[in-house]
Amino acid sequence: MISASLYITACTTRNRIRVRLRRLREPRYLIGAIVGIGYLYFSIFAGRRGRSRGGRGRDSRAPIELGSAWQAIGSSLAGLLVFVLALLAWVLPARPGLLEFSRAETVFLFPASVSRRQLLVHRLVRSQVSSLVTSILMALLLAPSGGFERLRFAMAMWALFVTIRVYFAAVALTRAQFTSPRPLVRLAAWLPAGFLMAGSVVVGAAIVRQLTMQPVASPADVLVRLTGATATGLPSIVLWPFSAILRPQLATSATSFMQAMAGSLAVLAAVIAWMLANQSAFDLAVGEAGERSSDANARTPVVRVRQVGPALALSGRVEWAILWKNAMQTFRAVNLPMKRLAGPAIGLTIGLTGAAVGMSAGQNRGPAGFIAALGFAVTAISVVAGPLIMRLDLRSDFDHLDVLKTWPVRPADLIRGEMAWPAAFVSAIAWAGIACAALFSGAAMPDVPFVDRWSVAISALLVAPALIAAQYTVQNALALFFPAWVALGAQRARGIDAMGQRLIMLAAILLVLAIFAVPGGIAGAIVWLVLRNVMGVAVFVPAAVLFAAVVLTEVLVATELLGPAYERLDFTSVERGE
Amino acid sequence: MSIVVEHFGRTYGTFTAVDDLSFEVSAGEIVGLIGPNGAGKTTTLRSLGGILLPTRGRIRVDGFDLAIDPIAAKRRLAFMPDEPHLFEYLTVEEHLRLVARLYGVEDFDRRAAALLDELELKGRERSLPAELSRGMRQKVVIACGLVRKASVLLFDEPLTGLDPLGIRRMRETIVARGQAGAAILVSSHLLHLVEEICTRVIIMDRGRKVADGTVAELASRADLAEAGSSLEQIFLHVTGNK
Repeated sequence: MISASLYITACTTRNRIRVRLRRLREPRYLIGAIVGIGYLYFSIFAGRRGRSRGGRGRDSRAPIELGSAWQAIGSSLAGLLVFVLALLAWVLPARPGLLEFSRAETVFLFPASVSRRQLLVHRLVRSQVSSLVTSILMALLLAPSGGFERLRFAMAMWALFVTIRVYFAAVALTRAQFTSPRPLVRLAAWLPAGFLMAGSVVVGAAIVRQLTMQPVASPADVLVRLTGATATGLPSIVLWPFSAILRPQLATSATSFMQAMAGSLAVLAAVIAWMLANQSAFDLAVGEAGERSSDANARTPVVRVRQVGPALALSGRVEWAILWKNAMQTFRAVNLPMKRLAGPAIGLTIGLTGAAVGMSAGQNRGPAGFIAALGFAVTAISVVAGPLIMRLDLRSDFDHLDVLKTWPVRPADLIRGEMAWPAAFVSAIAWAGIACAALFSGAAMPDVPFVDRWSVAISALLVAPALIAAQYTVQNALALFFPAWVALGAQRARGIDAMGQRLIMLAAILLVLAIFAVPGGIAGAIVWLVLRNVMGVAVFVPAAVLFAAVVLTEVLVATELLGPAYERLDFTSVERGE
Repeated sequence: MSIVVEHFGRTYGTFTAVDDLSFEVSAGEIVGLIGPNGAGKTTTLRSLGGILLPTRGRIRVDGFDLAIDPIAAKRRLAFMPDEPHLFEYLTVEEHLRLVARLYGVEDFDRRAAALLDELELKGRERSLPAELSRGMRQKVVIACGLVRKASVLLFDEPLTGLDPLGIRRMRETIVARGQAGAAILVSSHLLHLVEEICTRVIIMDRGRKVADGTVAELASRADLAEAGSSLEQIFLHVTGNK
């Protein structure tokens, strides 16, 4: 079976390369390829030249400096992070790529006389090309120096990627046996979960002990204590496999690399053995999904919650209908009814407010600063990266363009409706971050007056949705004008030419977004200039109101202007995935 | 006339999928659109449905030009594609509700209940597309098309994936809609079905219309005299596969 897997992998890779080379005859791919190659050249070789100019001594010191930083932070702390992510894989299960069989694989391999174990090995073999390519690219871009160290880095990354892939598949297979009618199978399935739970108790107790010994002075103090809690004793043993897979990346010598790699490969072998030991759950975990994985309508994971939100009213604006559709998609995808959000949200708000008041009274600046910074980071990431990540707008609905185009609706209404839900969702996350930062800012920055802090927070509350809506407008506008450069639905074009296309799109997005923000920025600046002496820091609020009003008006006008582009958009011009 | 197609043409790059196609379908008529693979049937239907833009020519639905007044035209037509493309996370009932909202259906509850019964979808209202067979998904697409009072119905291979009972029901559904006054265009490779339910037939080959008329009219055409009297014989003759 391995020879068959290798044959499929080799043929697919060869033909994929041929297709990608052939498509360079189209200008859009050729331009993308030139930009992509240029980007890689300047990232890899120009960076190397820059380091060389800095002197060979500095170049050769780089990994040692990183190694020292690694020692300082503590590999156990990184292990703790991986441990938390590994726990999340059980709580928030994702669809493991290793268990996703293509339609062709289902048709040809499932009825073939091969065992489920061999099918798992087949997927593992097939996933090697992408793991290797990604590892080599990361080594070229990120490795601190060239030659053998780059090779070492690539090998380390490869082991990490394969371990992650196999771990997710093993979790999915194990979870599928949780409800097995056979008690022994059920017990065997719960064992790894039980070990992880016990491990989390051990690590959690050590962390709590460290953090409560005396008040935390600063965010850095939190990191030091976390390191202290996880670097020795039982917690370090629990975290060993999780830190072992990260050690090879930053090994400082060939000897330490070999030792670290041995540990990493041992973990990989154990995870592969665990996955293969659970092959009996193959049909439960992938049987049906594999059968239907190539069909967009059948790629939906098991939806346990039916009634996730209110029924759609039979009359009203088109925008609301599209917003409702996209909201249903989000809540069903995570199996979470809307009404179940209210309780935790209220509880969290009360809890955070109480904690903020408590910290303020206790002058506990360290943790308060940490939480406020976290809130700020959440807000910044939401505003900057949210619209890139949450693509539940026209970009993802291009997959349904043949349905959307038959609807008798104004294109501008449709575009606004498509943008409304993801914009509201990302704005809500940004607002939560702002509220968190504002609540804890009192304890973190007691010297800054209340009015000043809350003026800035309210301004951010006003500006964030406007910026998010503007980004969605720009993203959807580019999708409408350059549909061939937008990935269809959840699929993404791959290859250096596709990477170049994405870079060009990113530059265009930033440029258009900057142009979008200029009128609102000017209006806000005028308000600020006129009223700053009268209102002080509170002037940010009216300036933000004006900025948001101008940007949202631009969004409204832009979506109207995008109507004809939608009308002209041709179903056949949208990129098909590979 | 409910559907008027005038000198319609559509190209993909340098390839001409449909060339200078003209025909009309009046209310109450059921017209079969047949042709070999690659004849341009789906391109024609998708252009009529507003999904593809014509490269040349005009398409009017109930008097509304699809290029000039697309909203009014689309409000009057229902396109049921061969590939059941549904929203992954909406239930059957929610699909119908969404369509009803977008098309302004007034007596939704009554119409939806009758349709679910007619298309044997009763009891599957809360199912997601992933939980339905291909045939069932095809029925949902058809239910979405029929839940509104469309005066023009476009069916692209409506029987694909249906079981024998489903095929019979679908046949009856199409005929009933035709008798109720809808203008219907059906594309299918099942020539016996087309011969049975259609009042007229349009045969396409390599992007062009090669025959248009009732089966009897086509059979009596001088150049088709030696072809035979069945639609299959006529089809094979005019498409050069005698």
